Amino acid sequence: MSVALDRQIRPIYDALDTGSHKSAITECNKVLKKHPRNALVKALKALALVRYQKVEEALVLCDEVLESKPTDDSTLNAMMHVLRGLGRHKDMVTMYDAAYKKQPTNEELGAQTFFANVRANNWKSAQQVASKMYKQFQEDRYLYWSVMSSVLQANDPNTPAEMRSLLYKLALRLITSAPTPSSVHSDRFYLHLTILRELLEYDEAMTVLETPAGRNICETNLTCNEMRRDIMKLRRAIEVEGKRAEQRILEKSDRNWLEFLSVIDGTFAPFTDSEDAKEQRISRISSTSALFTEVSVQDGRKDRSGLLGLLELESRARNHDVSTDPKRLLHLLQQYFEIFGDKACCFEDLKPYLSLEGEDLAAWTETLTTSFTALTTIEAVRRVVNAHKLLRYNLSTSELSLDAESSRANLYMSQYLEGLPLGKSLPATELQHVDDLAILAGNVLVNMWEMSKDDKYLHRAVFFLEYALAKSKQAFQMRLMLIRIYRILGAPSSALEHYRLLRVKQVQNDTLSHFLLSRCSTFSLASSGDLTYISECLESSQIYVSNSQETNDYIIRAFSAEKYSQIPQFIIFEEWLENSLQRDITKLEYLRMRLTHEPISSDIVDLELIELKFIFDRSHHDNRDFQILPNYQPKHAQDFNDQTLLFGKSERHGWVRSFLKSYIKVFSQASDLSDVVEEKLLVGDRPQVSPKSGSLKQRLAQRNEEELAELTSNESSLIAFVDSLAGWLEPFHDYVRPPASVVLADVAKNTELKTGLPLRGVDLTPQNGDTKKEEEMPPITDAPEIVAAYFDDMKTQFKNSLTTASLSEVLHVVTLTQEAFLLFVTETMRFKPASVVKIHKLGNLVAKFKTIRVSAITVLKDMAASLEKLSAQEGTSERKQELVDACEFESSEIDHDIIVATARKITDSRKKVAEGIAKGLLKICTTYAQ
Amino acid sequence: MSVLRPFKASDMFKFNNVNLDIWTETYNIGFYLHYLSRWPDLCCVQEAPSGRMMGYVIGKAEGQAAEWHGHVTAITVAPEYRRLSLARKMMSLLELVSDETYRGYFVDLYVRCNNLIAIEMYEGMGYSVYRRVREYYGNLGVGKGGRDEEDAFDMRKPLSRDSARRSVRSNGRDIIVSAHDVS
Repeated sequence: MSVALDRQIRPIYDALDTGSHKSAITECNKVLKKHPRNALVKALKALALVRYQKVEEALVLCDEVLESKPTDDSTLNAMMHVLRGLGRHKDMVTMYDAAYKKQPTNEELGAQTFFANVRANNWKSAQQVASKMYKQFQEDRYLYWSVMSSVLQANDPNTPAEMRSLLYKLALRLITSAPTPSSVHSDRFYLHLTILRELLEYDEAMTVLETPAGRNICETNLTCNEMRRDIMKLRRAIEVEGKRAEQRILEKSDRNWLEFLSVIDGTFAPFTDSEDAKEQRISRISSTSALFTEVSVQDGRKDRSGLLGLLELESRARNHDVSTDPKRLLHLLQQYFEIFGDKACCFEDLKPYLSLEGEDLAAWTETLTTSFTALTTIEAVRRVVNAHKLLRYNLSTSELSLDAESSRANLYMSQYLEGLPLGKSLPATELQHVDDLAILAGNVLVNMWEMSKDDKYLHRAVFFLEYALAKSKQAFQMRLMLIRIYRILGAPSSALEHYRLLRVKQVQNDTLSHFLLSRCSTFSLASSGDLTYISECLESSQIYVSNSQETNDYIIRAFSAEKYSQIPQFIIFEEWLENSLQRDITKLEYLRMRLTHEPISSDIVDLELIELKFIFDRSHHDNRDFQILPNYQPKHAQDFNDQTLLFGKSERHGWVRSFLKSYIKVFSQASDLSDVVEEKLLVGDRPQVSPKSGSLKQRLAQRNEEELAELTSNESSLIAFVDSLAGWLEPFHDYVRPPASVVLADVAKNTELKTGLPLRGVDLTPQNGDTKKEEEMPPITDAPEIVAAYFDDMKTQFKNSLTTASLSEVLHVVTLTQEAFLLFVTETMRFKPASVVKIHKLGNLVAKFKTIRVSAITVLKDMAASLEKLSAQEGTSERKQELVDACEFESSEIDHDIIVATARKITDSRKKVAEGIAKGLLKICTTYAQ
Repeated sequence: MSVLRPFKASDMFKFNNVNLDIWTETYNIGFYLHYLSRWPDLCCVQEAPSGRMMGYVIGKAEGQAAEWHGHVTAITVAPEYRRLSLARKMMSLLELVSDETYRGYFVDLYVRCNNLIAIEMYEGMGYSVYRRVREYYGNLGVGKGGRDEEDAFDMRKPLSRDSARRSVRSNGRDIIVSAHDVS
C-alpha cells in the first residue's frame, strides 16, 4: 500500500473507532473515487454500513470483497468484523480458508482460520486446520487444539452416537502422540482425563493421576481434582477415596464438605462378600462416627463439618436400616441447634434431616420452644429465628388453621419489633438483625391468603414488609416478596418501583426479569401510549445481544490461553443464554404489547414471523432463578414461590410453545412470505436445528395436553379461539395470497429503489403465461361456534371476575379479550382492500367478519366502561381507609405514616392501571372499528 | 464448612443471592469470562450442602519480575453465610495456587479504608498495608464515610518465594499514591 493511500485510510479507522459511522462512510467514498477497486476500503465501508444499520448496501460490498478472495491482514480483519456483524460465520470460514491455502506458512492466518471455524461451530474443519498447523509449525498447542476440537465435535448434539467414541479415540491417539506428557500443563491434563473418562479407561486415568505431576496438579487445581473425584466414583473406588478423604481431614485439617461426603460414601460402599454385611457396616459406621466426633470436638464452634457429618451419617444409616440408636438423630439435632443455633444458616443446614416423628418430634419441638429467650442480643435473635423456621417447617396440616397462623404472624411481628432496637445504630447499608422475622411474618400472611383468598392478608403482608424494608433498605428478599404480592393485588407500578431498586443488571436480566416481565402484558398500558413495559423488555433483552457478540470471543481466548477446561463450560453458558426460556417469554410479552401499540401492518407481521419461526426451533433452557425467594412455609404446604405466582401458574416450555404456535399460525396466514420467498431473501447463517419430525405446518397444528396445562383457563380459551379462527380462514388465505414470484418481484423492485442495485440471488425472469391460480375458490362457510361465541363468553367471564377475583384476574380477562380481537384483526387484514374482495368475490365472507367485529367491539367497550368505574372507586379516600382499617395491627409501634402511604400507593397504582387499560381498549376499538 | 469448588461460567445463573447484596457488583459477562479464560484456577466458589451459592473469589496473576503476584479482584460472601470463615478459606486457596502454581512473590488485595472488619480480618491472615490508594473506589452514594470510603488500602502478604519479605513494609499506611498509579 502506498504511503499516500495509507494516509487516506487512517481517518476511516479513526471514524470507525470513535463510532462516527456516517463520516467513516464519507471518508470511504472519497478514497473509493480514486481507488474504486481497493478491497480494504470496500471492506471498511461495508463495516461502517453494517454499524450504521444499512445492511442491504453492506451486503453488496461484502459480497464483492469476498469474491476478490482477499489475503492481506487488514482486509481480512475488516471483513471478519463485517461478517460477524452480519452473522455470516460460514462465509468467514470460506474467506479464511481460501487465504490460508494461498499462504500455508502464515501462522497467524492459520490461527484465524481455526478461530473462524470455532466461531461457526465447525469442529470437524477446526480439527483439520489445527492438525495441519501442528504439522507445519510443530507447536504442541496446535495438537491440543485439534484434540479439543475432536472432543467438541463428539459432544455436538448433531454428531451421531456411533461417531462419538471414534472421535474420542482419535483424540486419545493424538494426545498420546504428543512429545511432552499432558501433565506439564493442568488444562492439558484435564483434557486428557476427560477423554479417558469418556472412553471408560479408568485404569489408565488412575495411572496418570498417580504420577507425581498428576498428584501435584490435583493438589492445587480444583477443576482437575473434581475430575479426579468423578473418575474415582466411576471406577467404584469409593472406599479408597473415602480413606484418602479421611487422611486429608485428619492430616491437613481439610474441611471441604466434599471430603466428608467421600468419607460417608466410603462408609456405605457396597461389600463384595455379603455374609455378615450388616455387622461390618455397623462397625464401619461407628469408626466414621468416631472420626467425625473427634473433628467436631476439636473444631467446636469454629466449623460445622464434624457435627453435620454425623447428622448425614445417621440419616444414611437410617436409610440403610442400620441405625443402632433410635434417639441418635434427635440428639444430634439438639446438639447442632445448641452449638450452631445462632448461625444464620442453621435452618438450612438442618432442613434435610427434619424427618422426626411421634415422640421424637415432640421432644424436638419442646427443645425449640423452650429455647425462646428475650431478644436482647443478636445471638438470641438468630436463635429465635432459627427456632421459628425449624418449628414452622414441621407443622402438620392440622396445625395450620387460620387462627393458629394468625397468632404466629402476630408473634413474629411482635418479636420483630422487640428485637428491632438491636440494630438501631447500623448504617443504612446493613441488614437488620430481625429481618427474617418480618420475612417469616410475610410467609405466614401469604399462607393465610392462600387458605382464605381474602386480600386483606396480602394487604397486611405488604404493610408490614414495607415497614420492615424502610428499616432495612437493602433487604432484597423483602423486595422480591413485595413485587410478587403487588402484582397479585393489581398494583403493578409499586412492583415496578421495587424491581428497579433491585438494580438488576447484566446476566441477572435473564435470571431475575421474570419477577417483572412474567405475563406483564396484563398490566401494560402500551395501548394508551405508555411504553414502560415495552422498554423494560427491550432493555432486559440486551444481555442476549451481548452474549451472541461477546461470549464467542472468550471461547477463542480460552483456546489461545489453552484453558481447555473452560471451553465446554463457555459453550454451555452461551447456549443456555442464547436459548433462554425467559428470553422468549420476554419476546412474546413484547410482541403482545407491541400489537396493542403499533398499527398492525404487513411489515410488523413479516418481521415478527421470521423471528418467531427461529424461536420455534429452539430447545429452550430455563435459567430463571426462583430459589432467590425466601421460603419458610411448612413442608406440607405449597412453597412461597408457587403461592405467589401470578394467576398461580408459571410459564414454561408449554406456555411458550402454545403462544408461539398461535402467533406463527396467524402471522403466516396474514403474511405473503411463503417459505420459498423467505429462503431467497434471508442472508446469513440459520440457527442450527436438530432434525424435527414433520413440517412446520404439522408441528404448528399439534397441541398437546401437557403444553396446554401450563395455561390459565382464560389463556386456553384464547388459544382455542385462535386455532378455530385460523382453521376457518386458512383456505381463503391460501387462495388469495399472491404467488412467490410476484412477491419476490415486488421486493426486488423496492430494494433497487432503495440501494440503486438489483437484488442478488433472485431470478426474476417473468414466467410464461398467466399466473392465475387454477384451484377453485373454497366455499364460504359460517364462523365456527368457538369463534362466534368467544367474545360473549369473555363478557360472562369478565362479569364473574368483577365480583369474585382480584384486580389482576380482571385485567387478565380484559387483556386476553383484547388480544383475541387484535389477532382477529391480523387474520382478516388481507381481506380488507375492496379490490381483493371484489376480485375474489369474498363479499359474503367479509360480511361474516363484520358481525364478529361488531360483537367484539361492543364487549370491549363494555369492559372499558366497567374498568373506568372500578378505577374511579379505587381513587376514593374511602377505599384507602378501607385498606388501612383492614390491616388490624395490634401494635402502635408500626409507623402509621408508612401504612397510609402504602395504602395510597396501592390504590393509586390500581386506579392508574385500570384507567389506562380502559383508555387503551377504547383506542383500539376506534382504530379497528372498520 | 462448605463445598469448595471451581467457579464455572454457568455460576452466573446462580449467584443472585450473593450479588444482590449492595457491596457486590455484577459485572458484564465478559468480566467473568475474561478471568475464567486466563486464571480459572484462581476463581472458586463456596457452596452450601444444599447447592446454594455462599460466596466466591475471583483472582488473577500479574506483575513483572519481583512484582509477579496473585491478586484478589473480588471476594464476596452472601449475607446469610457471613461469620463462618468462608472468606478465610477462599483466601487460603488463592494463596496456595498463587504460591505453588504461579510461583508469585506475594498476594495482594484492595479494601476500603473504612472497612475495619475486613482490614482486621486480612491482618489476622497475615496481610499488611503496603500503600494507600487515593480515590480508588467510586462513591456508592452513601457518602458519609469521607476519604476513608473512597480510598483503598493495598494489602499484601508475602509468599514462600519472597522469603526475605521484600514485598511488604511496615509503614505502608503512610505511603499514599493515586489511583492511576496502581492500575
